[in-house]
Amino acid sequence: MLDVLLNPMVLPVTIPVIAGFLCLLLPKALDRVRGFVAVVAAALTLVAVWPVFRGGNQVADLAGWVSLRIDGLSAFVLLATAVFGLLITVYSVGFMKGKARLREYYAYVLWTLGASLGAVMANDLVLLLILWGFLGITLYLLIGIAGPDAADAAKKSFIIIGGSDCILMLGVVLVWVKTGSTRMDGPAMALGSRVAYVAFLSFVAAAFAKAGAMPLHSWVPDCGEKAPVPVAALLPASLDKLLGIYLLVRVVVDLFTLDGLMKGLLMLIGAVTVLFAVMMALVQHDMKRLLSYHAVSQVGYMVLGIASGTAVGIAGGLFHMLNNAIYKSALFLCAGAVEKQTGTTDLDRLGGLGKAMPLTFAAFVVAALSISGIPPLNGFASKWMVYQGIIEGGRGGRLWVIWLVAAMLGSALTLASFVKVLHAAFLRKASPDVARKNVREVGFTMWLPTTILAATCVAFGVLVHHLPLPYLIRPAIGASVDFTGVWGAGPATVMLLAGIALGLVLYFLTSARKVRTCQPYIGGEVMSEPYIQGVARGPSRDVEVTGVDFYQTIQDLPLIHKMYDLAAKKVFDIYDVGRGTAMYFIEALRKAHAGLLPVYLTWVMAGLLVILYMLMRLWG
Amino acid sequence: MIPLFVAIPLGMAFIIPMVSRKLTRAPDVLGNATMVCLTALALASIGRTGIYHMGGWETPIGIDLRLDGLSVLLLIAVNVVGLAATLFSVDYMRLYTSKFRYYSLFLFMVAGMNGVVLTGDMFNLFVFMEIASISSYALVAFGCEHEELEAAFKYTVLGSVASTFVLLAIAFMYGMTGTLNMAHVATKIASEGMSTPLMFALSLFLCGFGLKAALVPFHAWLPDAHPAAPAPISAMLSGVLIKAIGVYVLARLLFNVFGITDNLLQLLRWAGVLSMVVGGLLAIGQWDIKRLFAYSSISQVGYIVLGLGLGTPLGLVGGLYHLVNHSIFKSLLFLNAGAVEYATGERDMRKLGGLNKVMPLTGGTSLVGSMAIAGIPPFNGFWSKLIIVLACVQSGHYALAVTAVVMSLVTLSFQLKVQRYVFFGSVRAGLDRLQQIPGLMAAPMLILAVLCVGMAFLIITGMDTPLLIAPAADALAGGFFTL
Repeated sequence: MLDVLLNPMVLPVTIPVIAGFLCLLLPKALDRVRGFVAVVAAALTLVAVWPVFRGGNQVADLAGWVSLRIDGLSAFVLLATAVFGLLITVYSVGFMKGKARLREYYAYVLWTLGASLGAVMANDLVLLLILWGFLGITLYLLIGIAGPDAADAAKKSFIIIGGSDCILMLGVVLVWVKTGSTRMDGPAMALGSRVAYVAFLSFVAAAFAKAGAMPLHSWVPDCGEKAPVPVAALLPASLDKLLGIYLLVRVVVDLFTLDGLMKGLLMLIGAVTVLFAVMMALVQHDMKRLLSYHAVSQVGYMVLGIASGTAVGIAGGLFHMLNNAIYKSALFLCAGAVEKQTGTTDLDRLGGLGKAMPLTFAAFVVAALSISGIPPLNGFASKWMVYQGIIEGGRGGRLWVIWLVAAMLGSALTLASFVKVLHAAFLRKASPDVARKNVREVGFTMWLPTTILAATCVAFGVLVHHLPLPYLIRPAIGASVDFTGVWGAGPATVMLLAGIALGLVLYFLTSARKVRTCQPYIGGEVMSEPYIQGVARGPSRDVEVTGVDFYQTIQDLPLIHKMYDLAAKKVFDIYDVGRGTAMYFIEALRKAHAGLLPVYLTWVMAGLLVILYMLMRLWG
Repeated sequence: MIPLFVAIPLGMAFIIPMVSRKLTRAPDVLGNATMVCLTALALASIGRTGIYHMGGWETPIGIDLRLDGLSVLLLIAVNVVGLAATLFSVDYMRLYTSKFRYYSLFLFMVAGMNGVVLTGDMFNLFVFMEIASISSYALVAFGCEHEELEAAFKYTVLGSVASTFVLLAIAFMYGMTGTLNMAHVATKIASEGMSTPLMFALSLFLCGFGLKAALVPFHAWLPDAHPAAPAPISAMLSGVLIKAIGVYVLARLLFNVFGITDNLLQLLRWAGVLSMVVGGLLAIGQWDIKRLFAYSSISQVGYIVLGLGLGTPLGLVGGLYHLVNHSIFKSLLFLNAGAVEYATGERDMRKLGGLNKVMPLTGGTSLVGSMAIAGIPPFNGFWSKLIIVLACVQSGHYALAVTAVVMSLVTLSFQLKVQRYVFFGSVRAGLDRLQQIPGLMAAPMLILAVLCVGMAFLIITGMDTPLLIAPAADALAGGFFTL
């Protein structure tokens, strides 16, 4: 037993799990140490992951069916998971200071880390299923920690995640019976039969629920809004995305051989996810909820890349997953910093934070540009690969144009929604709430992770051909990646910088001194008289320009208006649709159970008659 | 050793009322001591088989008690859950009066169940079944309030219908085969085949024991009776009674006495799926915790019967394993509900909330129970559901596998409803200063929660299947009883 636990491949699981118990058992007097223990454990886990990452392909059959495997893909995801685990633990120390239930919090975070690492290494479907299910429980408990308000979000998340776990069970069982083995390194299963399709879709459903792709996405915004920020950053934005996409790649590449029908379906889901979620993000007023919708939208790109089935597409999907985890956790952690300092993430009540929190602001800008796919940041680099994947994978068909347009349009809308956040939270005048609070920058345990992440965004973008691609992505897919369109990040960066410099020079030389005065206007509309007078009288709630209002006009556009109405009615939320359907049947059943004994006796007699009929007729 | 399972509780059921006039602690002490003895006996009987001839009379004349793998499995479930229930009762039953009557009835019920799972004689089975049933009618009515009495009345009427069917069926069977000994009947049927009157008897048996097992459409009494009873009795009724005098007897008769056929298996599968779906859906709509759990029992019995109805070795293992697991987590959940009711006086979920803060142990154990029943790994319910789904797929019943998986999702949603409204959320006014749950009520919950994990651990390491489940499945798969 002990030698199994100390096996180098098992250590990344053992360390956090044991440390989790330690955090749980430490007495209350040592609350300060708890965070330290967690950070040390997460760091040790990263140290333990390193040799596994460097060790190349290996399989460890530990005991019975417990089998672990490392190949390029899992090594890559493993390292990414461990790194994000560490970052978020460090951040938690600052964010969670003084909050209740730390004991459980650190235990669940560490267990989540351990189980995620285990799930990535699992070489056995049943082992994967167990760890997958266990992750659902820890997610549920972590959301629950946020307090009474989060109870509904916790329930909803776990019904979707746990439900997808049940469906994964079906997939595992189908594969098990059809191929006679639960090992994941066996031959891929061919699609074609109905059973194979069901099995494939079961796996995809589990991957989508975890990653937050439509239609199983609806837990992500709720969780992002209600859960403690590090949890939202840890789970839906990074770890769960890593795991979900990892499973998707495994399923598409290793477990099944994709056919045209399924490929089209996945592409469709990817495109719809990109567009729909970004449309939802546009109209959100809560920063965390807005970011969560982006967390959904970005999954669409990964799905598009992976479903293209081409090497460059899959590499792009994986790279985008990594990039998304980087900038999305940076964004969430910035949102957390804002929440910590101002007490709210409501865009209507923020503002002026650009000056008050310069480091957070800088990190947020970089991450926001990156998620919008602005070159030369990493988000552009991976989206570029995904686009190529879509084009290359779509050769011979016509549909690829649709997917490509959807992906690019999504990118533009992403930028639009981040302009809104940047304005409302950072650039505009401080709202009365913020002005009253005298907001300052957060402590270093909180700004350090965000700035590191932002710096990584830049580094991975500028040095794309030198750092991430050769060391992380190429080994992960194990095949050479051919680029049809070449993107020279280095020269392009130089050109970009030169362009900006030129612009600045021109600006200072020509127009800087010529200032034109005019009526204040926003979004092309001149502001009304009370506003102008109000501004003169000093800041107040009535006369703020939050920058959020402009996006209301989008909501009122004819066709789009309908879509938002339906979304408000939760027609796109599988959770509510499922509940509504179930309630319909339940009402009918409840009417039948009115508590009348004669009715019940009638059922008994009817049952007897049916049994009699069946037995007599079938054997008689 | 075999007759002790019946003799000890039966004897104690008479002794307790006699001594407790003078000694007020006697019912608690004697009741628990009895269950400890029985649990020890049940554990000691693992791996044993044997036939005991009552009074030394040889088989055709006397009554046999047969101990085999299946009986051992049921004995362990009945007596372990029974012990947890009596431990819980020590403090919980202070809410009611006349404890000695309670323990006496309780032990009658246990004696009846132990007798049913051991006996090898049809009429003897009827008698034991009636002992268990009638004491359970009385226990459901134990609170003597309007709700309890109404529930007990319905339960008694439908239970009596079941008993009448069974008695009638036994009469037909005796008339056709001239014997009441199960092994003799089985030999006769094996050699001469079925006849129309025997077929009629079989239908009556299916209907009668289907009523006792609360399979849809014979389930209507259960959602009234199980919530009305005191919590430890609900745990016994839902946890073991419906299985010992319902599912067990059905399986015994179909597999070992009448001989299983494809059509009968199909009937079992239909009843299983119907119960699974109807019970599960109805559970979502409930707001009374215990009523919700009661409906979920119907659904879970459906899983067990579905597993048995597959008829394959794996299906039998899955069904029986789920039977044991369900008795553990469902009794745990009912004890949790009892603890909540004890502390707050409330069963309506809309009036509860935030109890995790006030009752962490109850909240924690109920989370374990909920996860286990919903089939979330790594708890025991996951493994039995996995085996059942695997068996469904293996035998080519894809639709059944899908239904089982979907109902698992449904189970998860109503269990999370309980968690959400009772244990999560904000603490309701007036619930923040509750009295602590006494240690003797906490202990059985803790034990059962540990068992939820323990049973899973045992199957992962491959220990309890050969020890408990496989012999039970072999007993069913072995076909007709032999002398």
